[in-house]
Amino acid sequence: MTWLVDQFTILGNVFYYLIQTVHWTILISVLAYLIALIFGLVFGILRLSLSRPVRWLASAYVNVIRGVPLLVLIFFIYFGLGKIVNLDRFVAGVLAVGICYGAYLAEIFRSGIQAIDYGQHEAAMSLGMTRWQTMRHIILPQSVRIVVPPAANEFIACLKDSSLVSIIGLRELTRAGREYSSQYFLDFQTWLVVGIIYLILTLTLTQLVKVIERRVAVHGYGVEKK
Amino acid sequence: MIIEMNDVVCRFGVLAALDHLSLTVEKGEVVCIIGPSGSGKSTLLRCLNALEDIQEGSIEIEGLRLDRQHKDIHKIRLDVGMVFQQFNLFPHLNALDNVNLAQIVVRGRTRYEATVISKELLGKVGLTDKIDSYPSQLSGGQKQRVAIARALAMNPKVMLFDEATSALDPEMIGEVLEVMKQLAREGMTMLVVTHEIGFAREVAHRILFLENGRIVEEGPPQELLTSPKNQRTREFLAKVL
Ligand SMILES: Nc1ncnc2c1ncn2[C@@H]1O[C@H](COP(=O)(O)OP(=O)(O)OP(=O)(O)O)[C@@H](O)[C@H]1O
Ligand SMILES: [Mg+2]
Repeated sequence: MTWLVDQFTILGNVFYYLIQTVHWTILISVLAYLIALIFGLVFGILRLSLSRPVRWLASAYVNVIRGVPLLVLIFFIYFGLGKIVNLDRFVAGVLAVGICYGAYLAEIFRSGIQAIDYGQHEAAMSLGMTRWQTMRHIILPQSVRIVVPPAANEFIACLKDSSLVSIIGLRELTRAGREYSSQYFLDFQTWLVVGIIYLILTLTLTQLVKVIERRVAVHGYGVEKK
Repeated sequence: MIIEMNDVVCRFGVLAALDHLSLTVEKGEVVCIIGPSGSGKSTLLRCLNALEDIQEGSIEIEGLRLDRQHKDIHKIRLDVGMVFQQFNLFPHLNALDNVNLAQIVVRGRTRYEATVISKELLGKVGLTDKIDSYPSQLSGGQKQRVAIARALAMNPKVMLFDEATSALDPEMIGEVLEVMKQLAREGMTMLVVTHEIGFAREVAHRILFLENGRIVEEGPPQELLTSPKNQRTREFLAKVL
């Protein structure tokens, strides 16, 4: 009985210690995701550019980044680029995760844009809209509905992958777990709690994504009937 | 002359969808285009709206050369309104905004100015009570009438109709044709690809029979429809009449 109480006290202590770093995990993933949104939107659109070199450049970004492990990208930016420009580990970590997820979002945005019937482009152009006006007023507003659920799911993945930046000494949840377990030799309890905290975050977000999904579905305008 | 096509060739790979085609259309003229599937009817209209590239020849709209590579092509294109078989309404906008949008972003009208014009046009096509409806809430015939209003709102000098009634249920064809007839009576220059021979007979000043990207025969409706000179025209009409 006392053993059980002890165990719970330990878990409680671990939890109390770790939860104080969870805002770093959230901050890193939110900032990284914002960067990813910008990169994703820009490169997703550029992949559909009329200019071949631009298209090539955009798909090079997507393919290179998606083909390299995030961990390697983090090392490259922090240690590699860090040799040339002075990068704070926080900036380097956020940038690496952001650039990585930008590539995934670019693919999601590209396919969301391409999912819109080509007739929409033609109708807009026949009304005298430029390509950019067509994108802005016709295509993107319709793509949003398609893109939001998978893009929101990428945030959940991004949050989990933010644990990788612990390796360059960013003191977020996973890093704090490593410190705690090596200090008190409570590996089992520490990693159990770290896992549970991540799980609470991701499960909450999963529910949120479901709500958003329902929102865009209902709020949306019906798809044109033939 | 409002449209002048000179020796136009439009190719898809080796296939010449338009094969050295020349055509002039006068202001106020209504030209109906008939022909078998794959004869190049849609391609002809699409070239006039710079939706396709041409490889040879030239197209002028009111003396302005249509060149897809031109950076101001979207402005030249403004003079040409297009109505599609599949309507291509913007599903995220209601009827009013479908008609408003390009007026505001392209013509630079204020929302207020645009709304006045849109309401008038939607009234003209008989949809005053549908201005708040989204495309998904409209019937095919209603959608096509919104699409016509949308094109008219840009004050085009020419209207192109590509099988505007082909995707409609039979009972809705009439309401759309009626709008088109009214436009013709008002003196709009129109190029109409259609399978509605009755409409062509009644409204067209001239009918073109297209085959293999060439104008095989053309003439006023009573001539071309009743006593076609060309063997191919006769065979085609025998099938559709
Ligand atoms: N984007 C394209 N790529 C390749 N071939 C095309 C393309 N568009 C049209 N074609 C070909 O060009 C020819 C003319 O096509 P077009 O659509 O103009 O015919 P149409 O007279 O409108 O036929 P329909 O009555 O079936 O609509 C056809 O052989 C068609 O297959
Ligand atoms: Mg066609």
